[in-house]
Amino acid sequence: MAAPVAGRLGALGRRLAVPVRAWLPRLTQVRWSRYGPIYLDPEVNKEVYRKPLEELSEEEKTQKELKALQPIKATPSNVTSSVFSDPTVSKFINMMMKEGNKVLARSIMTKTLEAIKRKQIEKYYQASEEEKESIECNPYIIFHQALKNCQPIIGICNIKKGGKTYQVPTPLKDNRKRFLAMKWLITECREHKHYRIFMHEKLSEELLQAFNNEGPVIKKKHDMHKMAEANRAYAHYRWW
Amino acid sequence: MLRSVKGLIRQGPKLDSGYFFHVSARAWLSAAVNQDARIPAEKPRAIFRTNESNPANHAEQHDGQHYSIPLQEVKVVFPHGLPYHFQMQMKTFNETCLMVRKPALELLGYLKNTNFAHPAVRYVIYGEKGTGKTMTLCHAVHYCAKQGWLVLHIPDAHLWVKNCRELMQSSYNKERFDQPLQASTWLKNFKTSNEHFLKEIKTQQTYMWSKRESTEEGRPLGEVVEQGLNRVKNASDAVGVVLKELKKQCPLGSFRLLVAVDGINALWGRTALRKKDKSSNGGAIVTTLSQTGSLFKPRSAYLPDELLGKEGFDTLDPFIPIQVSNYSQREFESCYQYYLDRKWLQHEKACAEEGRKELLFLSNANPWQLGRISAYL
Repeated sequence: MAAPVAGRLGALGRRLAVPVRAWLPRLTQVRWSRYGPIYLDPEVNKEVYRKPLEELSEEEKTQKELKALQPIKATPSNVTSSVFSDPTVSKFINMMMKEGNKVLARSIMTKTLEAIKRKQIEKYYQASEEEKESIECNPYIIFHQALKNCQPIIGICNIKKGGKTYQVPTPLKDNRKRFLAMKWLITECREHKHYRIFMHEKLSEELLQAFNNEGPVIKKKHDMHKMAEANRAYAHYRWW
Repeated sequence: MLRSVKGLIRQGPKLDSGYFFHVSARAWLSAAVNQDARIPAEKPRAIFRTNESNPANHAEQHDGQHYSIPLQEVKVVFPHGLPYHFQMQMKTFNETCLMVRKPALELLGYLKNTNFAHPAVRYVIYGEKGTGKTMTLCHAVHYCAKQGWLVLHIPDAHLWVKNCRELMQSSYNKERFDQPLQASTWLKNFKTSNEHFLKEIKTQQTYMWSKRESTEEGRPLGEVVEQGLNRVKNASDAVGVVLKELKKQCPLGSFRLLVAVDGINALWGRTALRKKDKSSNGGAIVTTLSQTGSLFKPRSAYLPDELLGKEGFDTLDPFIPIQVSNYSQREFESCYQYYLDRKWLQHEKACAEEGRKELLFLSNANPWQLGRISAYL
């Protein structure tokens, strides 16, 4: 949608005098890509290339032919064809990163996963036979489940009407929910814990608490739900 | 302390047999000892574990297999020897497992065939970073402890040389400095591992600690250790005394001494401080070279002559070098199966063939690297 807007704007600007573009600042794009619409995304998954020709469905065959003809974008450096790569974990690392120090953020994430795994395995070996079934040792499953537990269902939006700002309950997109969950986790660890404890220890503790549906981040999610419930009278202020 | 160990090493050939110098370099996480190398299409547990927990009986067929050490023995034999990461693994898995590997088997073979009438032989274990040098040393120490030798284990010589917080001028010799903290911890651990020996060995001369306290001739060595523990100021002196006594008495043949020093290259490298501990010479030496803690040395250096320097090499010469390298195919398989068995590799793709190939590629069969990667998978 941005490309046609820019195109139209460019055409408009070309027909009128150049200063016209400055008159419509809200329609110009801030983030744009050097790739045009014809460029396709790269396929990093090795399994897709290993499938023999007979197993492909019709649409996959057409897609494959298309890829032979159309240009493909370059792969970003944080995307790998490793079987262990996880997009959610990558997103979380990016959000934890400060001043572009990806090495540090990634090492904190790996230490967090290791800490979670150690705690769970220790609990596993101390537990009795019946409890052993219920203890989850996989740090990735714990991470995903904890994030899911922290995601709010309904959000709050500030809408100004008649000089007053109202907190109006709104539905949230999936991306926004995931972003809020990660943001709450990271801010909770950064601000409300003692600064001398390592980040990976704080994070592992928070994640384990969130996995069990307890802890301050879950409380924050519930607070948001309560606010939305309290302000349901203003729900009709929303126009989208 | 260091001077004394250096003296011990220098006078190695003159010492009587029964002293073995084992130098083991610090190895990170090389401990992943798989009990039995796993051979596919056989019983799952049989391959990477072995029930043979006595190192004396380890032979070629146990190569690549893990053997476990019971908790009581670990506390006695290794109060301070194991690397930090291995200790964390021990805590997590609730057991201590060491892999039997070829360099260790070679070393044990030499130890078994030692002729105690000859001067002590020196062994230097060397290898690249993270290949298993410290764990090989620990394997040898376990063997010797089982055989009933007196074990003098220095976990990391670099700790004695750099980053000292408390320095005191030695009362014994004006030019030297002591490290009371390190000395007292070492004495405590020495006491734990060699309880029964301390009562038997008698001192051969009187030592004056201060105006009022002194240890008479003929008292058991345990008293010297107690003295060092009680009076922290004299801890380094106590260590020196212990080493001196052991050195003098070893030739008598009443007991066999093993000196295991980790990171021997610390003793000859440039020191960040002008620190020399009491000189006392004592027993046999098994040493390892360690690049990790050494100062002023490039990262790729791992050969003995690079890390020891000219002075160290001349002092240690002649020695038997033992090289430790990355895992072989069999050992890697064994380690991988051990991790799977102990639930260390949790990622769902890690159990598959794809995951295994990727682990092999990422770690290049280096034990330390494999441990680090499997930690977060």
